[in-house]
Amino acid sequence: MLLLRLLPHRFKIIGWLILIPASFAGVLLSFSGFQANWLYARVFAIFPGDIFGFTRPFSFIRTNITDTVVGILCIGGAMLVAFSREKKEDEYIASIRFSSLLWAVCINYFFLLLAFLFVYGTSFLTVMVYNMFTVLILFITRFNYLLFKHAKPVPDEK
Amino acid sequence: MKNNIKVERAIKGLTQEDLANKVSVSRQTINAMEANKYVPSTVLALKIARVFSKQVEDIFFLEKKD
Repeated sequence: MLLLRLLPHRFKIIGWLILIPASFAGVLLSFSGFQANWLYARVFAIFPGDIFGFTRPFSFIRTNITDTVVGILCIGGAMLVAFSREKKEDEYIASIRFSSLLWAVCINYFFLLLAFLFVYGTSFLTVMVYNMFTVLILFITRFNYLLFKHAKPVPDEK
Repeated sequence: MKNNIKVERAIKGLTQEDLANKVSVSRQTINAMEANKYVPSTVLALKIARVFSKQVEDIFFLEKKD
């Protein structure tokens, strides 16, 4: 059977170890707007995006990278969890992987559609921030739920 | 498509885990097939038939709606 090329199973555990603390940090950051003083760095920006005045695209800028670090950890962790093999990756697991991904994309856009209809102004930016992560989070939740559901021992096992 | 994997398994005295190991798939796969929630690939159907020393059509059957 031709299966998806996925990362080895051990990356799933590493992914969880990164994703769980990073998502807590991410939620906290989005509420508090906290920026760590020690996390300033010189970064290369394609779009520096300064609201005040003219900024040159493709230039080096010095900025706080708290959001950058937490965002990268969230996405990196979630990607590892989502795209690592199961202990025994086979054709059925691959099929629930695909169906979960389809489900996640559909649900994600359904909620985004609702957000377009009912959220306006700067609040919509918050929606966009969360929406960057929801496809992966929904996929991970759905896929692991289905795995768990079908892993339950059958009562009439003889 | 229906199948009688469960019956064949009982005759051979195999658990879902045993059968899963023999055809190198996860236990979830055997579970889903027995619950008629998953139609296996031809390769897997042939492997399962071989474990039970039977023809594929003795284990898997078409239904009217197929």
